[in-house]
Amino acid sequence: MKKALIVLLACVTLGFAVSCKGSGKVELTFMETMTSPERTAVFKEMIAGYEKENPNVTINLISPPYDQAENKETMMLNNKQTLDVIEVRDYSVKQFVNNKNLENLEKRLASWEDGKDLLPITLASARTVDNTAYIIPEFFYIKALFVRTDILAKHGIKTYPATMDELIADCIKITNKKAGQYGFSFRGKSNEFKISDLLLLSDVPNIDPENVYKTTDGKFSLAEPAAMAAFTQYVKLFKESVPADGINWGFNEQVNAFVSGTCPFLVQDPDTVALVDQQLGRDKYTVVPLPVGKSGKAYLDYGFASLAIPSYSKNKDAAWKFITYMNSPKENSFLCQKYGPLPVHASTFKDDTFFSTGVYQAWSTEMSKTDSYVFVKYPLASDKWPGWAQLHEQYMQSVLLGKMTPEAATAKYADYWK
Amino acid sequence: MKNENLKYRLMILPVFALLTLFMYIPVVRSIGIAFQHYTMFDLSKVKYCGLENFSKIIFDPDFNFFQILLNTALWIFVSLFFQFTLGFCLALLLKKPFKGRGIYSGLVFYAWALSGFAIGLVWAWMFNGQFGLANDLLLRAGIIGLPIGFLSDPNFALISVIIANVWYGIPFFAIMLLAALQSVPTELYEAASIDGAGPVAKLFRVTIPTIMPTIVSTTLLRTLWIMNFPDIIYAMTNGGPANSTNILATQMINKIYKNYDYGQGSALGVIIIALLMIYAVIYLKIASRKETSV
Repeated sequence: MKKALIVLLACVTLGFAVSCKGSGKVELTFMETMTSPERTAVFKEMIAGYEKENPNVTINLISPPYDQAENKETMMLNNKQTLDVIEVRDYSVKQFVNNKNLENLEKRLASWEDGKDLLPITLASARTVDNTAYIIPEFFYIKALFVRTDILAKHGIKTYPATMDELIADCIKITNKKAGQYGFSFRGKSNEFKISDLLLLSDVPNIDPENVYKTTDGKFSLAEPAAMAAFTQYVKLFKESVPADGINWGFNEQVNAFVSGTCPFLVQDPDTVALVDQQLGRDKYTVVPLPVGKSGKAYLDYGFASLAIPSYSKNKDAAWKFITYMNSPKENSFLCQKYGPLPVHASTFKDDTFFSTGVYQAWSTEMSKTDSYVFVKYPLASDKWPGWAQLHEQYMQSVLLGKMTPEAATAKYADYWK
Repeated sequence: MKNENLKYRLMILPVFALLTLFMYIPVVRSIGIAFQHYTMFDLSKVKYCGLENFSKIIFDPDFNFFQILLNTALWIFVSLFFQFTLGFCLALLLKKPFKGRGIYSGLVFYAWALSGFAIGLVWAWMFNGQFGLANDLLLRAGIIGLPIGFLSDPNFALISVIIANVWYGIPFFAIMLLAALQSVPTELYEAASIDGAGPVAKLFRVTIPTIMPTIVSTTLLRTLWIMNFPDIIYAMTNGGPANSTNILATQMINKIYKNYDYGQGSALGVIIIALLMIYAVIYLKIASRKETSV
């Protein structure tokens, strides 16, 4: 009896082992970080398509809440927990490379057919750190100017501002505080530097594209006389065309002020399009390229998220195959149409009418007029970078509250980057 | 007897093991990290740095530590005072039975069941300077001519977040004090009436002394919780404008989540623990002296 039992047990174990090996099933763990319920639904749809095409692959999607996602990802990577494909935001790439968490994708990128169709900006972003492709960007965020056509028509404005001076003048012109009409949809907190610094620096002619806080001759850009003058203008814009409450506005309040018509000018990323479409409709607004400064240029930073493979993943080949599917022109365009940001392939902007016409033309212009629109990078690789947003916000708010002069704040900024 | 002892020890072992795993080890580890240069940005550069994290926090040229301390003290004690006073009043009102008391208390206690972050978001909209309910009501009533920037004006911001916190904390005191009030023997009130005591005398001579142990423990607990409760501020102002609502707990979160600086974040955690311990010891000493004198 005992013998029979042992034989039976051995058979079952062997059978199980053979069946596991024979099936060739691969389970990939994929973690997203820019989570939103709508986007997770789109991801699930794309994943279902992949699983149908590849019946031996199962994708296990982890979707932590947006606010905790990056921290969870960092923890999981540092503890070498099971992960095969991860979504990495631009700000985190350096940190993950420092900690040796990411696989070098250069060889795989070189042999990828759709890789030849990637935009130059996509390739540059892939090689953000150490000029090595550790990541493959999924989409971009680039700022442009959202304009409430209906409200401006009421104020007799039919041509939209092409320069910062015109924007400021228009904002102040239409402001009537008693009637609750203001101009500029302000960003006062939560990474406010991403809008304020773009406006402050557009008057400086020689910004270093590799580091927006430096000029090409190595000086601190915000301390340039042109930037200081623009700072004063920025404070004027705030005082004369923004509700005082704007100091405490984040993304939601900004969009709300735009949608309600209180502030008909809004500088935002393309993922705002879907949101505004839903709440307003395209007959009430349009998007135009960001106005240029006195330098004749506008400096645009490009935010992005990307896909990457953890260095310790046991399924690197399968993970790469999945990345090439998610980032193929077809799937990438599908994701961006549903979710809003800009796709990563050149062909999408040419062939896909969704991106070659309508409000997306503003971004198409920004990407093609290279003499006016200069793409710049933040010093993401500096160890001072993580503390910058909080410090910038605190002094910017002090200036807007009149507790500090623009000069004093700039001196603090210069001190920080010394 | 010895066997009995061992049995009890074994019985508390699982709880002790859980506490060790999830409380003691992390606390000890974070105390260790407080003395290290430890940033997530580059884990290859982790090293011991003595008291550097503490000195960087205390002498931070950008985020005035003493303003943060003052904000923390105001945040705790003003919130606590109003939470306690209003919670106590509510408990006294709910003590006597009336029709619909169950439903009414359920509604009142509802706030306590909500997440702090969600409350922060709701109050942030209520205090919104442009579209907020508070401004709308004040404007309609003709009390103000132009909207007030409750969360954008440093003169109002701290008061505004404290109001949200008071609203949140009242039910806790109401629940705890109501339970204590219901356990006060009615004979004491009868005896006081015979001695000619009025309602005020009864409150101060009978009710409060009898429920004093509950008052001491609840106010102490609340102090600890309020100090460690950055949710509302984080959602409403994130410490702004210009540092005017920044407290130790929000600064700690910012150091960790925004700056990835676990060293300075842990150092702030250690400062919070130290301040709370000093406070608890002094508070309990004073309270026990009062109790013995009563």
